[in-house]
Amino acid sequence: MLRRSWRVGFVLLVLLGCGDKTEVKVSDAPPAANEKNPGNPVTGDWLVIHSLSDPEQLNPLTSSDATASEILAFIFQSLLTRDPRSLELKPLIAESRPVISEDKRVYTFKLRRDARFQDGKPLTGEDVLFSIKVIKCPLVNAPFLQVYFNSVIDARLVDEYTIQFTTKEPYFLNESVLGENVVLLPRHYYDPENLLKDVTVRDLTGDPAKLSEKVRKFADNFNRNYSRKPLGSGPYKFEGWETGREVDLIRDPNYWGSGKSGIDQVYVDRLLHRIINNLDAALVTLKSGGLDTMDLTPVQASRGSNSERFKREFQKFEYFAPSYSYIGWNNLSPIFRDKRVRQAMTYLTDRKQMVKTLLFGLGEVVNGPIFFFRPEYDKNLNEYAYNPDKAMSLLREAGWQDTDGDGVLDKVIEGQKTPSRFEIKIPSGSSTGKSVILVLQEELKRHGIIATVRDLDWTIFLDDVKNHKFDAVIMAWAMQASEPDEYQVWHSSQAANKGSNHISFKNSRVDKILADYRREFDEKRRVELYREFQEILNDEQPYTFLFARKSVSAVQRRFRGVQVYPAGLRPQEWWVPRDAQKYAREAALR
Amino acid sequence: MTPRSANIPVATTADENSLAVSESPGGLWSDVRRRFRRNAIALVGFYVVCFLTCVALFADFLANDKPYYLEYHGKVYFPILRSYLVGMRLANWPTELLNVNFKKLEGAKGIFPPNPYRPSNINLLEPLESPSSKHWFGTDKLGRDVASGMIHGSRISLSIGFVAVGIAVIIGVILGAIAGYFGSWVDLVISRLFEIMLSIPTFFLLITVAALLPPSIFLTMAIIGMTSWVGMARFTRNEFLRIRSLDYVTAAIALGVSDRKVMFKHILPNALAPVIVSVVLGIAGAILVESSLSFLGIGVPAELVTWGSILHEASTTTFAWWLAVFPGFAIFITVLAYYLVGEGLREVLDPRLRGLR
Amino acid sequence: MGSYLVQRFLLLIPTFIGVTLIGFLVMHLAPGDPAELRAAGGLGGAREGAISRNKQGSVDEALSQWRKQYGLDRPIPIQYAIWLSNLATLNFGESFKDNQSVWLKISERIPVTVKLNLLSLLLVYAIAIPLGIYSATHPNSLGDQVTTLIAFVLFAVPLIWAATMAIVFICGGDFLYLFPPAGLESLEYSSNWPLWRKFKDQTWHLFLPVVMLSYDGFAGLSRYMRASMLDVMGQDFVQMARAKGLAERVVVFKHVVRNSLIPQVTILASILPGLIGGSIIIETIFSIPGLGQLGYESVLARDYPTVMALFTVSALLTLLGILISDLLLAVVDPRIAFGRRQQ
Repeated sequence: MLRRSWRVGFVLLVLLGCGDKTEVKVSDAPPAANEKNPGNPVTGDWLVIHSLSDPEQLNPLTSSDATASEILAFIFQSLLTRDPRSLELKPLIAESRPVISEDKRVYTFKLRRDARFQDGKPLTGEDVLFSIKVIKCPLVNAPFLQVYFNSVIDARLVDEYTIQFTTKEPYFLNESVLGENVVLLPRHYYDPENLLKDVTVRDLTGDPAKLSEKVRKFADNFNRNYSRKPLGSGPYKFEGWETGREVDLIRDPNYWGSGKSGIDQVYVDRLLHRIINNLDAALVTLKSGGLDTMDLTPVQASRGSNSERFKREFQKFEYFAPSYSYIGWNNLSPIFRDKRVRQAMTYLTDRKQMVKTLLFGLGEVVNGPIFFFRPEYDKNLNEYAYNPDKAMSLLREAGWQDTDGDGVLDKVIEGQKTPSRFEIKIPSGSSTGKSVILVLQEELKRHGIIATVRDLDWTIFLDDVKNHKFDAVIMAWAMQASEPDEYQVWHSSQAANKGSNHISFKNSRVDKILADYRREFDEKRRVELYREFQEILNDEQPYTFLFARKSVSAVQRRFRGVQVYPAGLRPQEWWVPRDAQKYAREAALR
Repeated sequence: MTPRSANIPVATTADENSLAVSESPGGLWSDVRRRFRRNAIALVGFYVVCFLTCVALFADFLANDKPYYLEYHGKVYFPILRSYLVGMRLANWPTELLNVNFKKLEGAKGIFPPNPYRPSNINLLEPLESPSSKHWFGTDKLGRDVASGMIHGSRISLSIGFVAVGIAVIIGVILGAIAGYFGSWVDLVISRLFEIMLSIPTFFLLITVAALLPPSIFLTMAIIGMTSWVGMARFTRNEFLRIRSLDYVTAAIALGVSDRKVMFKHILPNALAPVIVSVVLGIAGAILVESSLSFLGIGVPAELVTWGSILHEASTTTFAWWLAVFPGFAIFITVLAYYLVGEGLREVLDPRLRGLR
Repeated sequence: MGSYLVQRFLLLIPTFIGVTLIGFLVMHLAPGDPAELRAAGGLGGAREGAISRNKQGSVDEALSQWRKQYGLDRPIPIQYAIWLSNLATLNFGESFKDNQSVWLKISERIPVTVKLNLLSLLLVYAIAIPLGIYSATHPNSLGDQVTTLIAFVLFAVPLIWAATMAIVFICGGDFLYLFPPAGLESLEYSSNWPLWRKFKDQTWHLFLPVVMLSYDGFAGLSRYMRASMLDVMGQDFVQMARAKGLAERVVVFKHVVRNSLIPQVTILASILPGLIGGSIIIETIFSIPGLGQLGYESVLARDYPTVMALFTVSALLTLLGILISDLLLAVVDPRIAFGRRQQ
C-alpha cells in the first residue's frame, strides 16, 4: 500500500513537471551527498522544507517566532554577516567592517553601491538610517529587539552611502549588534509617505510621549499592515503565503549579489515551506516525496527513519542547535539558598541516562551556559555525574535529616521545622521537560524529598517566572553560535524588573566579570574572564544545567553542498545537479 | 458528533402492561430490581461496573511496589496497610523500612501484589517495551508500567465520574424542581438559563477553562459537573410539571403543606426515575469527557497517569501500539458497561418517563 | 402561531447575551496575559520551554502601548460593551496572534468544518434511517438484536480511542498505510486536476474523519427511528391502512416512515451546536484546518477576539438550532404553541 501511493505520488510529480522541462527523472542510484567533486553548482529545482506551523507574521521586527525568523533570514539582509564556519564577522551590505573610534563609541559603516532591493530600487544609507529609526521607535512593537539597541543613542548619514552610529558606552558586541541585528528595510516600501523623515534617532531615544503624530501614524501602520508581504534585499523573494498550507519563496533572478565574489550565492529556484502541524503526517509526507527536508523528532530519528528505502532516499544530519535546558532553583528560597543543596540536586539528576532514554541519545550533558563549540567554553568543569550518595552527604552537611521518621527530610530554618517539600513549575507543552521532572521527582522521593510538579499554561508560567514566584522551574535558553554575553542572565541587576536573572543569582565577583567582559575588546582576555565565570557557576550550581539537544535533519539525497556548521545547516547553499532535478524549472521566474 | 449527554433519546419498548405498579416508592424499587435482573445484557453491564468499582477501590492491593506481607530480619510487616496508616498520619515507617526499594531488599521475603509496580515507578532502562510477562501491557516512554497505570487510572476516572455527576445532579435537580414547581416567570427565567447552558459550546468551554487554570482533578470534576446538569434539570422540570398537576399534590398544597415539603417529600421521589437513568449515563459521559481532556493534555496534573494521558502518548509514539490498545479498551468497556446498565434501567423505568426533550 | 414565533425570537436575545457574556468573562478573568505571550515568542517558544535569548527584555512601554491599542486596559464591562457594539456591524476585530481579521480567519475555516459535519450528517442519516426501519419492521428478530448490539457498542467506543487506533494502525506508522494521517488534500492537489481526481483525493482524506465523527450517531438515530416508527405503527390510522388492504410495504414506506421522519428533523437542529466543539478532537488528531482546531489554538494563545468570535458563532448556531427545532415541533404538535401549562 505504501509503495503504491509512493508511485502515485511520483507519477503525479512527473506529470506536474511536464511542460517546460526537457528531462524529468528522479535519479535512481543513491547519489552520495557531500562527495568530493559533485561538479559545479547549478541553479534550478525546488527545496520543499517542512514547517511545523505558520509563521505568526512576516514583519521582520515585530515577529517573534522561530518559523518566521527562519523564513525572514532568506529575505532580509544586514550590514554585516558571519562566516558560517569561522563565525567571524564579514561585510555584506557594508563594503567592509566599520571604522571604530578610539573610545569605541562611534561606528562608521561605508556601504556598497551596488546593493538593491528585490523591487530593483537601490539600497542606500537612507534605508539604513530608516531601519535603525524603526528599531528605535518605542511605538513599534518590537520590545525584544529594542533591548539590544538601548545603548545606541544616535545615527546619522555622513553621505549617501556612509552611516555613523553612536553608542552610550563601549561594548564589544556593538559591532555585531549594529552590523547583524539592524535588518535593512526599504524605506520606500515600509514608509511610503516618509513619515519618519524629520525625527532623529536621538528624538526616538527620548521621551515617547513627545513623539509627533506622524511617528505614531507610522508605527501604527507598520505594526498592523506589513505582516504578510515582506520586501528585502536578500537572494530570495517572498512569493506567497497560503495560511495553513505553505509559504513560498523564489530565487530573485535579479539578485544584486549574483556572481559577485565574497557574496554567498544561492541556487535552488524555490524554497517552498510546507506547513504540516502534525509530525507523523510530516514524516509520512517526507517518505512519500512531498517534502525534501525536515527535522526529525528523537523518536523518528531513532525508529522511524531506518528502513533501507529511507536510507536510499535521504541522508540524516545531526547538529547541535545552540541552546541548553536547565532546572532553575530560586536562589532566594529557604531550601535552595544553600549551594550545597543545589549541588545535591544536580548529583541526584541522572542526566546521562536521561539523554540516553528521553532524547534517544540525541544530546549532550552540559555543565555551563557556554556553547561547547566556543573558545570560551571551559572543558575542565566538574561533571557532577549522577551520585546519590554524594548528594545525601551534601544534604546532611547542609543540615537536612529525617528527624521524625515520616520519610521526609527536614531542617530547622529560622526556628521552624521545615520539611523538604517544594514545587517545580513546568510549562505545559514541553514534553521532554515534563519527562525530566518526573524522573527527578521519583528520584527525590526515594531520598526523602517531596517535589510536586505543577504544569502551567505558557503565559501563566512566564508570568510566574518573571515575578519569581517559584521554587524551581525547568526551562531552556536558545542563543546564537556567536560570541556569548551572559550579562542579561547572571548579573545581579537583572534580577529586578522582570529581567532575565529569574533565579536572583547574586555574586559580586561574577558581577564584576560580566561587566568587565563587555568592555573587553581583546578576545583572549575575554576567554580568560569567562573561564573564571564558568568555574564560579560550576561551584555555585544556581541552575542544574541539563543538556543541549541534537537536531536531526533528513535531507533528500539529490541535494549537494549540504554541510553541518556550528550553527546548523544552511539550505541556501544547497543545489541539485541538472540531471537529478525533480521540479520543473519554475515558470514563475520571469 | 451527537452531544454526549444524557439527552440521547434511545428506543423505548412500548410495554404498556408494565404500568400496573403503584406510585409509592417501596413497591417501585423492588419491582425495578426484579425486572432489571431479567435483562441479561444489562446484568452483564452491572457486573462489569461492580468489577471496575472493585478494581478502583482495591487498586493499591492489585498494583503496588510494596508487598502485602514482608519478613525482614526476623520481623513481620504489612507494608501496604502501613502505607495507608502513614498517609493518614496514624503511624510512621520504622527506620529500617524508610524509603526502601522493597524489591531490592536484602535478606527479605515478601508477597507482592499481582502487579508489582506503581504507575509512578519510572525506570529509564525499560522505556517503551512491548507487552511481556514482566510488563503485561508494556511500558511507556519513562518505563512506567501501563497495566499499573490503568488499574490506578480507573480510580481517577471513576471518582471524577461520580463527583462530577454528583455535582450535576444537585444543581440540575434543584433548578429543575424549582422551575417545574413554580412555573410562570420562574420557569421562564430558569428555562432561559437552560438555553444558555445548552448554547454554550460545552467542550470548547471546558477546554478553555481547563487550559487556562492550573490543572487539578477537583477543577476537572467541578467544571464537568457544572456543564452537564442541563439534561437532568430538564427531565426534573418536566416531571415536576406533570406531577404537580396530579390530584394528590394539589391536595397537599390545599392542606397547607409547605412548598419545600411538597417538592422534596411528595413530588421528588416520583420524579427521580429519569434522573437515575441520567446519572448512570452521566457517569459514562463524564468519564469520556475527562479522558478526552487528558488526551488533549489539559486538566490533569503532570504526574498523574490517567487512561487519557496514556492515549495521548500513544498518539505521538505511533509504533507503541500497546499504549493505544489497552487504555482505550478500558475506557470503552467502562463506558459500555454503564450504558448497558443505564439502558436497562431506562427500559425498566420506562412508564415513568414522559417526554424525551 | 405568529405571536409564538415572535415570542421565541425575542427570548433568544437574553440567551445570546448570557452565552457571550460567559465566554467573555472566562477568557478575560483567566490568568495569563496575551501581551506577555507575544513578547515571549508566541506559542512556538512554548514547545520546548525555550525563550530565545535575543527576544528577552522588559520593555513594558511597548507592551502597554500594545495593550492600549487593543483596548485591554479598559475595565471589563466597557470592553464587553465595545465588543457588543462592534458585533452589530459584524466587526469581530483582529486576531491578537497575527493581526488578521478574525472574521477572515473564521470564514476561511467555516467551509471545512461545515463540509466535515455535513458529510457526517449525511452518512449518519444514510445508515441510521434504513437500520431503524429494518429494526422496526422486524422487531426483536436476530437482525434487530444484532443491530442494536452493534449500535450500542459503537456508541460506547470513545472517539479518542478510535482515532488513535486509526493513526497507529492504518495511517502510515509501523503497520498499514490505508489513509493519510492528516490534512484535507494531498500536497500535489491542484485546482487543475480533473473532477474525478479531486473527488478521489478529497474522499481519501475525509473518509476517516467523517466516519469517526459519525459512528456514534448510527446508534442514537437508528434507535430513535425505530422507536418512533413503532410508536406510529401502533396508531389507529396504520391499522386503518392495513384494513383498507394496502400492501404492507406501502403501509410502511408511505405512511409510517413519513410520519416518523418528522421528529428526526428536530435532531438535525440539535446537531448545529456541536459543530465547533464536536470536531475539536478530530480536527486536532487529523490536522484538519477547521473551526475546532482554530478554537483550541486560539484558547491556548489567549487570542480573545477569535475565541469570542467562535463562541458567538457557536451560540448563534445553537440558538438557531433550538429555534428551528421548536418551530418544527410546534408545527407538528399544535398544543405546544398555544399555552404552556394546563391550569
